[in-house]
Amino acid sequence: MIIGWRVSAAIWTALVVSAAVVGVRFLRPDLLIPAVAVAGVAGVAWVVWYPRASLHRWRWRLTDRAIELRHGVIVHRHDAVPYFRIQQIDISQGPIDRMLGLAGLTVTSASAAGSADLPGIPADLAPNVRAELLRRAEASLGEQSGDRDAV
Amino acid sequence: MRSDPDADRERFATPRRLHPASMVLGIDVGQIFNLGLIPLVALFASGGAAVLVGLGALAVVTLVVRVLDWRRRRYSFDGSELRVESGILGRSLRSLDVGRIQQLEVRRKLIHRIAGLATVRVETAGSASEPEVELRVVSESDAQALRRAVRAAKARTRGPGGSGSVCDAVGGDGVEAGALTPDEAYVAPVAAREPVLAVPLSDIVVASVTGRRLLVLPIFIAAGLQVAGDAVDQLAEWSMSRLDDVVGVAEPLFGGGFGNGLAAGPDWRWMIPLGVAFTLVAVAVAAITGLLRDGGFRLARVDDDLHVSRGLLASRDSLVPLARVQSVKVRANWLRRILGFVTVEIRSAGGSAGGGGRVTIPLVAASGVDRLLTEILPGVPGLPTLDAHPIAARRRSVVRQLIRASLLAAALALALHLGGWLGPWTLAATLTLPPAGALLGIAEYRNLAHGVTDRVVVSRHGALSVATQLTPLGKVQAVGGRSGPFQRRLDLGSLDVHVAGPSASLTIRDASRPRVSELHRRLAARAARSG
Repeated sequence: MIIGWRVSAAIWTALVVSAAVVGVRFLRPDLLIPAVAVAGVAGVAWVVWYPRASLHRWRWRLTDRAIELRHGVIVHRHDAVPYFRIQQIDISQGPIDRMLGLAGLTVTSASAAGSADLPGIPADLAPNVRAELLRRAEASLGEQSGDRDAV
Repeated sequence: MRSDPDADRERFATPRRLHPASMVLGIDVGQIFNLGLIPLVALFASGGAAVLVGLGALAVVTLVVRVLDWRRRRYSFDGSELRVESGILGRSLRSLDVGRIQQLEVRRKLIHRIAGLATVRVETAGSASEPEVELRVVSESDAQALRRAVRAAKARTRGPGGSGSVCDAVGGDGVEAGALTPDEAYVAPVAAREPVLAVPLSDIVVASVTGRRLLVLPIFIAAGLQVAGDAVDQLAEWSMSRLDDVVGVAEPLFGGGFGNGLAAGPDWRWMIPLGVAFTLVAVAVAAITGLLRDGGFRLARVDDDLHVSRGLLASRDSLVPLARVQSVKVRANWLRRILGFVTVEIRSAGGSAGGGGRVTIPLVAASGVDRLLTEILPGVPGLPTLDAHPIAARRRSVVRQLIRASLLAAALALALHLGGWLGPWTLAATLTLPPAGALLGIAEYRNLAHGVTDRVVVSRHGALSVATQLTPLGKVQAVGGRSGPFQRRLDLGSLDVHVAGPSASLTIRDASRPRVSELHRRLAARAARSG
């Protein structure tokens, strides 16, 4: 996963840094060298440090009631989507994911804002995770006594 | 009028067409605009007789399409499913389970009311930009019968042996809906029910003239004065040029000074009466549009549905099942807070644009809010007592407002400097902004509060305009806690409580971190159960 994040971070950094350098080159050629230095340091941090920290902080687990996520380097986040509220589970694979044999899972509730993203799951495991989530969603529906409608 | 449930059911059992008038009234002006704009522009550009031919062709095509559409569009309701079949070439069949309905609305524009017609809109949960089903238009009696039939079907599914009503789920204290048998509930005419709330016309006027639209009044006045000023300028210029023509040789006498004086802009003797006039016009316009839109506002509770009707000329009747209320927002801007009024917004998960999932009660006395909440959120005795946030949150809100005000002051100073208006007075005025921001931050902290009971989670926030949002615990879809670096330093965190529907999430900002994780655990556990 860390490689995937690094690759996409590197691509973005290359784009942003080159755009910035071109901009500085035309507007203030005298500042070119310090600008390149600053952009280089920021780019290295973004490519080397951030993905590692992000991966280090990333935790997810399936409790008996909900799927829980803890992640975020600068802003720490702790999200929970109960199985009962799951409306939709998507598996997605970008080109970098495919190269690395990974897949991403998105678990959506009836609230668009209250969804959970699980990036970087091994591609052969992703269908199993989805099946397990569906099974738990089904089971939680069976446990409901009254209204079975989650909206 | 005593209506017969079976007759209503049979009426819609076989697929029906819309009212023939829908061939004309069902025209979607927006769609025509989208489809026909480019050809129309091209036509007008070419000019001449082509315009007439083109318009004629467009009218013929529209008419043919409308007739075909009317012939091919049928709807039916068999007591559990609302089905709409439509499409001229490609057919589409839409079926909608009655239990999924978030909101049903009968809308009548003025022309509909004259002709005895109505539009029926049905919303389900989702973020689509249009209602799930829109029947435009049917005869008024069909609209009423369809609404009765939907209500009857809901009552039947809720009846003996069936679970699934909100009353069962919340334990039923203070809710007597279960006592009515389906047929009793069914035949009771809506109008005979005691309204929970009827907003008098005077209140609607107050609401309109203290509302958000009037807060843009300064812009309106400025724009109006600008236009008027330009007009006066033009007039002055024109009269001067006439004067030049007439006097001709007299020009050197004025030395150009007279003309320049006028061209420098209208003087203040013009501006003040104009400003007053524009203010009066704006207030009157706001009052009249408010009256037309919300006049005759009535909120009634029929079993576990809320009926809301409003509008003097064009009317809107909405039916919101209580079990579908996702959140209630009590708002008051500073002006209304002084006057002791609030507005109450009821949100269901209906996702369509144009406020489809939202019913706004224009004005309620602040003292009547508790009684109203009891009706909208069964089992909630009113606004619960709320807990204040830790004092560290004050530092955050003051700093946030201070930064915002300072940026604003800097931008303003820059603009003044560039415009050449930066004098001692304007500078002093700019410098008062940051302290005002700090005061605003303190006010914001004083309003910051949250609370959780066994039924609802509540969050209150805002500096001058205060909003209190309540969400039933059973409607919580997901929870998310977060804490940024500055929050962590002060041991604070925020909690996002997500509910269905567009932009309906509730946020508790800057509570203590232990409190956030405790609430996170409680709400997530509660969200794993229904009801």
